[in-house]
Amino acid sequence: MKHILASIAASPYAARVCNLAAWSAKRLEASVELLHVIQRSNAAAQRKDLSGAIGLGVKSSLLEELTQLDEAEGKLAIERGRVLLDSAKGHVEGLGVTDLQITHRHGGIVETITEREADADLIVIGKRGASSDFAKGHIGSKVERVVRASSKPVVVCSSRGPDLATSDPSLVVVAFDGGAASKAALSFAAGSALFAGIPLQVVIAGGDDARHRKLAEDAKGILAGEERAGEVVLKDGAPDAVIGTTMKENPDGFLVMGAYGHSPLRTLIVGSTTTAMIRTVHAPVLLMRP
Amino acid sequence: MLSLNTLRREWLSNPRGDILAGIVVALALIPEAIGFSIIAGVDPKVGLYASFSIAVICALTGGRPGMISAATAAIAVLVVPLVREHGVEYLFAATILMGILQVIAGFLRLDLLMQFVSRSVVTGFVNALAILIFIAQIPQLVDVTWITYPMVAGGLAIIYLFPYITKAVPSPLVAIVVLTGLALALGWEVNTVGDMGQLPSAPPHFFIPNVPFTLETLQIIFPYSLTMAAVGLLESMMTAQIVDDLTDTPSDKAQESKAQGLANFVTGFFGGMGGCAMIGQSVINVKSGGSTRLSTFVAGTFLLFLIVVLGPFVSQIPMPSLVAVMIMVSIGTFSWKSIRDLRVHPWQSSVVMVGTVVVVVWTHDLAQGVAAGVILSGLFFASKVRGLFQVTSALSSDGRTRTYHVSGEVFFASTERFSEAFDFKEVLDRVVIDVSKAHFWDISAVGILDKAILKFRREGASVDVIGLNEKSAMMVSRFAVHDKEGADNAAPGH
Repeated sequence: MKHILASIAASPYAARVCNLAAWSAKRLEASVELLHVIQRSNAAAQRKDLSGAIGLGVKSSLLEELTQLDEAEGKLAIERGRVLLDSAKGHVEGLGVTDLQITHRHGGIVETITEREADADLIVIGKRGASSDFAKGHIGSKVERVVRASSKPVVVCSSRGPDLATSDPSLVVVAFDGGAASKAALSFAAGSALFAGIPLQVVIAGGDDARHRKLAEDAKGILAGEERAGEVVLKDGAPDAVIGTTMKENPDGFLVMGAYGHSPLRTLIVGSTTTAMIRTVHAPVLLMRP
Repeated sequence: MLSLNTLRREWLSNPRGDILAGIVVALALIPEAIGFSIIAGVDPKVGLYASFSIAVICALTGGRPGMISAATAAIAVLVVPLVREHGVEYLFAATILMGILQVIAGFLRLDLLMQFVSRSVVTGFVNALAILIFIAQIPQLVDVTWITYPMVAGGLAIIYLFPYITKAVPSPLVAIVVLTGLALALGWEVNTVGDMGQLPSAPPHFFIPNVPFTLETLQIIFPYSLTMAAVGLLESMMTAQIVDDLTDTPSDKAQESKAQGLANFVTGFFGGMGGCAMIGQSVINVKSGGSTRLSTFVAGTFLLFLIVVLGPFVSQIPMPSLVAVMIMVSIGTFSWKSIRDLRVHPWQSSVVMVGTVVVVVWTHDLAQGVAAGVILSGLFFASKVRGLFQVTSALSSDGRTRTYHVSGEVFFASTERFSEAFDFKEVLDRVVIDVSKAHFWDISAVGILDKAILKFRREGASVDVIGLNEKSAMMVSRFAVHDKEGADNAAPGH
């Protein structure tokens, strides 16, 4: 049986994450695990004590004090997490998912997801978590880290896009550049029950020349291999612009793409198409690592 | 594993707190590095260079983010005779060799030996270290002008009372600045840091220590390097444990051993003395909000910046203010709870703790203290476990067969009690020794079972041993003689 791991935080994306997890669970006939991670803040830093003086019994008293700070905060966080998980559970059950499990963990979000993804087939996260500020156009710093660390397909939920609680996406758009990750993404989109019966369009960013026609042939080959009907289109322009326009034209679309083909170092210097895409596109994005 | 996630978590998860804490630590490191140089009998620059180099290298490569490593008292007290008899160049060479030994220890996973160091020994180590730091201040307190004493007292008052006014500034720094200002303004006659030897005026540079590369040199430095490596790793592992507890995060101790080694190895080539993790400084760091590699790195680099830029000011600092800071470190390092616990803890624990302290203060060698503590706790443990063993017996109705039931743990310390439990003079045809509830741990235990069997046989009884558990049976089949041919002739105990 397939298993979906959905990470929720106290952010406006939580409802979207639940909807997407429920929709995917019904399509894949999968069980859902709702995960909420309590991240501990640095208690010592909050004390704002730069006196640098250490006196009698400093080691034990400091340990006690830090424990108290963490304890007080931890209890509150646990309560908040329970409320969140309970309402998410009710929501997902209301959407018809029966096999549902909730997981409440302490730790780092990225580390916890990496730990628990072993028996998951799909990971669902929100574009931003509770800890990120709400500057428009940013993606949570953890999204990239989760996608990079994970070996499973990750769906990043946006605040807009198709309302999966009531309907299916109108179109599945696969961004294809011929790289290993995007080939994996296309195979997944074409073969998975997740998108069965939904029109599929493969978009290749580039002019009508020999190289891009070859890419189109590759894409058609993959579709044929999976016996999946779908349209392959060439669109001239930079990849993020082309995909951005396509998604704008199909507001109820679902984007599927390969993720982070380049090293973190290169990403740091020239930026990443993947990050740019998640940021600009207001649709759910399924990311595949090669 | 080096990944972007790890790098981010270990360097940038808390930059504001880490940078501030690093600065606080750097300010406290200056008096300590100078103080420890004076203990070791070398120029202050030796300790300052060491603190910079060790802190930065451990920040980059260590296995315990947030821990502060630099020149330490534990190492300084060890090298006094080496510096006095052979000179500072031999100290650099010994530091390099110390580093090599620590890297080897890291690969051999000698950090796992820490599991055998009991809590009482750790407490003893920490207390002994605090006492050593305090003792090292005494030369600065005898044969000095009277004004020294009010200055030390005033310094301590500022250090402990100033935080009640504000916690935004490190109070040891305030104490140093105030006392330096007063001493300069009022022309007090006290020793200054400048009187203690040369301060650095430039960043350290690479050089090969000026020692002859002979076997004789190795014979001189090796014993020192070995002790320095051991003490350095002991304090580092204990400090790592303290930081683990305070921050509630795990650490990689083997990695830390290698990093300590690398840091000392490099430091020796840059004219620094050996060092290790510092309990007091690491606590200051965590207390100030530092938790990642960044704070350690900032501490090291800011220290170098301070001494190179503020060198002329540093040489004016009166020694009594540094003594006050060192007394603070000594107080903060000492485990005061352990004094209270002396009354409530089992007496064996207290003996181990006090024994460790006494040996360290006697020898000025923390490694010997820990060795003594570990041996003592081993002996106490053995004598306690010795009691977990008993022998009962029952005579058959015809009075010809006696069955002995042995249960519990049998090992070297229980052998005497084991043989006393059998009555060899009783006239019997048959003896059954049921050991199904006993465990024979070592060859001493097997030997004593053997001896008992042979003795019964010599008295004319046949002996059956039943119920040897698997591990014991293996020990017996490998090492016992009673079941081998000609056993009756063999002298027992061989």
